[in-house]
Amino acid sequence: MTNAIEIERLHYRVGNAFEIKELDLHVPTGSIYGFLGPNGSGKTTTIRLILGLLRPLSGRITVLGDPMPEQHARVLGRVGFVPEQPHLDATLTVRELIDFQAAFYARWDAERARELVKSFELDESRLFGRLSKGQKAKLMILLALAQGGDLLVLDEPTDGLDPVVRRDILSALLTYVSERGATIFISSHLVHELERVCDWVAVMDDGRLITESPMEKLKHGTKRLVISGVPADIGTPPFRMLSREASNGAGENWVVGDWEPGMTSYIESLGASVRDVVDLDLEDGFVELLRSFRKVRQ
Amino acid sequence: MTAMFRAILFTQWKWSRLIVVLGTVAAFAIPLLSLQGAARADRGALQAQDLLRAVQSWGSLYPLLATALGLLMAIAAWAPEHRGRHIHALTLPLERWRYVLLRFGAGVVLLAAPIAAVLIGASLGALTATLPPGLHAYPIGLAVRFALAVFVAYAVFFAVSAGTARTAGIILGVIAAIILVQVVAGIANIDLDLFGAAQTVFALGPGPLAVFTGRWMLVDV
Repeated sequence: MTNAIEIERLHYRVGNAFEIKELDLHVPTGSIYGFLGPNGSGKTTTIRLILGLLRPLSGRITVLGDPMPEQHARVLGRVGFVPEQPHLDATLTVRELIDFQAAFYARWDAERARELVKSFELDESRLFGRLSKGQKAKLMILLALAQGGDLLVLDEPTDGLDPVVRRDILSALLTYVSERGATIFISSHLVHELERVCDWVAVMDDGRLITESPMEKLKHGTKRLVISGVPADIGTPPFRMLSREASNGAGENWVVGDWEPGMTSYIESLGASVRDVVDLDLEDGFVELLRSFRKVRQ
Repeated sequence: MTAMFRAILFTQWKWSRLIVVLGTVAAFAIPLLSLQGAARADRGALQAQDLLRAVQSWGSLYPLLATALGLLMAIAAWAPEHRGRHIHALTLPLERWRYVLLRFGAGVVLLAAPIAAVLIGASLGALTATLPPGLHAYPIGLAVRFALAVFVAYAVFFAVSAGTARTAGIILGVIAAIILVQVVAGIANIDLDLFGAAQTVFALGPGPLAVFTGRWMLVDV
């Protein structure tokens, strides 16, 4: 499987306040890749590095097979981008912005642009500055999709939008992916939203990657175990121990990652027994991952 | 590339059309107004001197207009980009130097209107005026000089305006340092004339700003 985005040992620093260190990311071609992290974790900075807007101190970034930022002009012709904040000029109308964008992209899909103007119910004569938040978001998505890119990079595209607009946007994205087989790299802190659409997910915090895995594996591999009779030393378990706390009774509560059903035998080999295995949804898993990561860092 | 230039030209026109229109009207009017007293055929030597004085005093408006046009057009070229933190421009699929060149070129094209207005206004004024013997009109020379001044002003302000707040801070810091050194030198009775030296380097021929100095005469001997 080839990767639409590959990042290896990336290092970037902004003053002394924040740095991205030893970041590795592999975004498979054709996937919808969710990039999760709390506010200020480095998602937007990573996206800017991917797009060549920032220059890393060290490491390697490859997008659609070309190195970034060296080949940014070539790569950006195949990448649709929706930033966190609308960045377009408020004094241009919807039609003028569409025409402006069309002039820069060889693969501009005018037919798709027309369809999306209609389905998003955008008034072409309205100034960008006069659009509502939802309409602005829809126009940004329209511009990104009509570019006909092989990769869409979306930085919190639905943040702060009402559920109807969010649904419209996600639906347009899914249609695009199914028609073109494009890759989507979507950052968000709206865990439930990513859970519905993504097939890969990465979690970032404080400039570091906590995990990168297929969505199914993360969802189904993160469990809360209720254990009794646990010895103090449990050696090196075959799963990832995210948290370990004494419960009210005699046992312990573990939150584990990369869990598989056969692993109960390992726990039993310690002389302990598994009293319950509780499925965690992505949001619980995300919170536990962050908690465990922060505890280790402290 | 033509489509890109057209798109950039359109946005720049939209952002700066008021400046262009007002600048064009002023550029057309100044040469006509400077010759308003030269429509009579009965002018002697003294009247010729009056006319030259009038033309010279109106002439001081050309470098001012050129500077104002260069400054305002440069600000208009970059202000929306600054507001969007340059994200849009930086994510367009072309090299950055090419984008800057297209923006600069679009400004140059729009500035052709006031330059043409000076040429037309000066030519019209020269054709309709009755000049005293020994005086000649130089509409083409004036328009060429105005064009040069406009482009120099636009280029300088375009470069400054394209920069970040940090760049502007550095430039202001250098100017402030020069002023400070000059003041300290004055207090310490040190023979140092930084302003004079700067004027010699920049404003006197062949300095880059020399085009703004001297007399701007539509009519001269």
